Amino acid sequence: MTKDLKRVFLEELRSVKSMTDLSHLRVKYLGRKGIITLELRSLSSISPADRPAAGKKITSIKQFIEAEFAVVESILKREELQRELQANCIDVTLSGKFVPFGRQHPISRMLSEITDIFVTMGFGIEEGPEVESDYYNFESLNIPKDHPARDMQDTFYINDDMVLRTHTSPVQVRVMEKARPPLMIIVPGKVYRRDADITHTPMFHQIEGLMVDRGITFSNLKGVLEAFLYHLFGPDTPVRFRPSFFPFTEPSAEVDIGCILCGGDGCNVCKGSGWVEILGAGMVNPVVFENVGYDTEEFSGFAFGMGVERIAMLKYSIDDIRLFFENDIRFLRQF
Amino acid sequence: MLVPFQWLKEFIDITDHAQEVARRLTMAGLEVDALVKHMDGDIVMEVNVTPNRPDCLSIIGIARELSAIYKIPYRFPEHSVAASAGELGLNVDILDTNLCHRYAGRVIRGLKVEARRTPEWMQNRLQRCGIRSINNVVDATNYVLLELGHPLHAFDLQRLKGSNIRVGTPEGIKGQWAMASIETLDGVEREISGDDLLIWDAEDPVAIAGVMGGLDTEVNNSTVDIFIESAHFHPPSIRRTSKRLGLKTESSYRFERGTDIKMLKKALDRATFLIREMAGGVICGKVDIYPKNYRPAEIEVRCEKINKLLGLALSSQEIVSCLKGLGFEIKDAPDKLSDRLIIKTPAYRRDVEREADVIEEVARIYGYDKISASLPMATLSIDKQKEGDKRRSVKDEISGSLLKSGFTEAINYSFMGIQDIDLLGIGADDSRRAGLIQIMNPLRVEDSFMKTTIIPSLIKNLVHNVLHGSRELRLFEISKVFIGNGSSRLPEEREHVAAIYYKERVKSLYRDDTDDFYIVKGVAEAVFNNLKIYDYSFRRSSEAYLHPGRSADIFIGNDKIGYLGAISPAVLGSLNIKRHKASPVVVEIDIESVISSITEEIKYKPMPRFPCIERDTAIVVDSSLESSMVIKWLKLYPSELIEDVYIFDLYYGKNIPEGKKGIAFNVRYRASDRTLRDDEIDELHSLLVDYVIGKTGGELRQ
Repeated sequence: MTKDLKRVFLEELRSVKSMTDLSHLRVKYLGRKGIITLELRSLSSISPADRPAAGKKITSIKQFIEAEFAVVESILKREELQRELQANCIDVTLSGKFVPFGRQHPISRMLSEITDIFVTMGFGIEEGPEVESDYYNFESLNIPKDHPARDMQDTFYINDDMVLRTHTSPVQVRVMEKARPPLMIIVPGKVYRRDADITHTPMFHQIEGLMVDRGITFSNLKGVLEAFLYHLFGPDTPVRFRPSFFPFTEPSAEVDIGCILCGGDGCNVCKGSGWVEILGAGMVNPVVFENVGYDTEEFSGFAFGMGVERIAMLKYSIDDIRLFFENDIRFLRQF
Repeated sequence: MLVPFQWLKEFIDITDHAQEVARRLTMAGLEVDALVKHMDGDIVMEVNVTPNRPDCLSIIGIARELSAIYKIPYRFPEHSVAASAGELGLNVDILDTNLCHRYAGRVIRGLKVEARRTPEWMQNRLQRCGIRSINNVVDATNYVLLELGHPLHAFDLQRLKGSNIRVGTPEGIKGQWAMASIETLDGVEREISGDDLLIWDAEDPVAIAGVMGGLDTEVNNSTVDIFIESAHFHPPSIRRTSKRLGLKTESSYRFERGTDIKMLKKALDRATFLIREMAGGVICGKVDIYPKNYRPAEIEVRCEKINKLLGLALSSQEIVSCLKGLGFEIKDAPDKLSDRLIIKTPAYRRDVEREADVIEEVARIYGYDKISASLPMATLSIDKQKEGDKRRSVKDEISGSLLKSGFTEAINYSFMGIQDIDLLGIGADDSRRAGLIQIMNPLRVEDSFMKTTIIPSLIKNLVHNVLHGSRELRLFEISKVFIGNGSSRLPEEREHVAAIYYKERVKSLYRDDTDDFYIVKGVAEAVFNNLKIYDYSFRRSSEAYLHPGRSADIFIGNDKIGYLGAISPAVLGSLNIKRHKASPVVVEIDIESVISSITEEIKYKPMPRFPCIERDTAIVVDSSLESSMVIKWLKLYPSELIEDVYIFDLYYGKNIPEGKKGIAFNVRYRASDRTLRDDEIDELHSLLVDYVIGKTGGELRQ
């Protein structure tokens, strides 16, 4: 009989497809009026001599059935979870919810990149006014009124004695008036010239540098600027220094790098020369030192300045400077 | 300066080809911008001559420079002028010897002036240097200008009244306050100021000295006798006159930079020679008034200083050889053993005035490329933090917060126009209007002023981008604003940050109905929190161009430091993005105020050791009551156990009477020394709610 019971149970168990089927089957066998319960109850009608054996048998069947139920139940639960997960499925190919991201302006990026290089070398950052007196912008830098050197920079005037600074160089003088050497500063900032075309905007950015100490030489000027240019454009960049003229430096130099667009073969950007101008520099003119009360016998120094837009145009291959100030998001997003 | 290579080679025997010559010139400070090859094989070099080198504004000047570079001789053009025949027949007088240092001239009589009769080779050269052929006399003077760098002027002698030449200003000739007028060669009648230098005959001005001749005494086909002028004028005076008249000529360009007072005579003779060759005539007498002989400055130079500044170890022979090559005269040093040199500069190098200038000359000729690069020995100094460093780090923090919040950085010009201030409805007393700094010579009238607020630029950027298809835009800018103080002092410059946010209401997969105002406000709060500034608050704003119901002034402590809000529909209506139904939100904050509110000290506070208890409550108040009042009263309640409060819901409508709103808030209680009991908090919370209800005139929401 017991054999039959097991066989019948297993057969019925096989047809269980859900938790409901399972609980029905459980009631059928283990419920209050279930087959096993009744069997156990009927033990009392068996002779006491046979009772232990019969009891043992039915108990073992009960344990067998319970174990089978546990196995099936766990399988069913797993299947149910699977079904539930299936039902919660979403379309993972839909685009995610947009998280806005901001971009630094290419000029800010370039400014940071350049200032960081100098800060690493030990230069400190200084700033100065953008509306500047004629004295600081010109006179103190050895650019007197009625001097043709003023033609080098077309100036916006507020009045006869006040201009929009045409370069960051006046900050040199302002800093030297307040501090004694040794000095190592860079001055990033906006400057203004009355000019507008594909390579000129009435406002642009410059970074000025100044180093003053005992025994600073032209050779040092070359060393610091070469180190900077190798950092910014790569260690194999050709660099050349050639004489030029700035009223506030003597000797003055223009610094060129090998054209990074054509590699020196000659193209539109370098006007076929293979070189592009990148920096103006020179040893601080003793006239400027005298204007700030530095002893020209004790101290010497160099200064340099560069146009940030120009460098950004070269680095990012931008051919129209006005793009920087149009603030078209399609442009700004690219940096 | 355009330099035809064939012409140049007449004065110096150079074997290098033009490209190499151009390179050598560039590396010596005369940058050659371009080489243009002509049909006949000649090459024209375009030399960029810096303002300090007027001596290089001629073919001979370039040859002289090459002679120093290549260390080979150069030579002058040859000419012979027959001894003067006859009298000059002209009375010449310099009235202002400060403005005119030397005045020379020659008279040629009986010549034949003809247009298109100048020899072809000369016409070609003039043309290649950018000068149009006029007639044989004028062409000869122009030719000499290019060749020797000295401007000359020829007058029609018969038209000079009273056989008189006077050099002076209107004030010098006619007395104080006098002015003058003259019709110049270009046919323009020009008003001349009292202190501009003119050339006069017995009655009238006949030329603007060093700038342009008068039409009345012009040399033309009917001219028979001429007077050729060769003079030296005070450079700043010529520059002032040329600037004032807006008249820039080949002549004024050279005079204002400084001409060679010694070349003057050679140029005069050369021109006389060429004119007689080309136009015939008889040379009759000459004049040369030279009141004060030019004496070159003597400059003391120390070889040691040269080497020290350049980082070189040149011998004094090497230095002397560089300088001699440039035509500098070396006087014997006072002591032959010392390293001091006394140098006399040639008259054409007045730019060399001091030791530093001489050092540049040595470096230039020696070659910048031969000076090796070396890093300086650093002198370390523990300086107090530079002001710029601190400002930079604050600006970096602010832009970092904005970038992370999805805002892209813009950079606009620092200019604005009165139309921008009008658009924003900024009043007359507002410093943004009253403090406007005006530019005398703006490029466009719309850019006549320096910015007093960044918002107009950002609005322009918005319009540009919306018109180019942007449906969402987040831009910010950090820039200075300029507030004038009505005095002659420099204006106040304050760093500002401003941002604009715009989102078109479009169908979207994901719902987000946060009001734009709160998005921007959240960003502003993030900026402050990032800088560890917490005592900020927002109060309803009265900015004219902002939506009165959706704008707030921003305070730190009791100082207004900015504002934020939706741009008023009235302003938007005048922009050409009306059809996009944009409702952008802007914010502008004064960074200077932010910087001064930053406390740098960071002090650690221990984390709480005991658990907290939270309670939520909803109350109904007048809809006009601002939620900040609820927060304020909750925080003012005198209990140390209240740790934090916040509002988590705000609702109108169903179950709420008209004119009322529901505010739900959460209060977190915590004691620092024990675990709180529920019953004590129940009691405290109900007292707190009663207190807030009492203060706000609200009621508990059932």
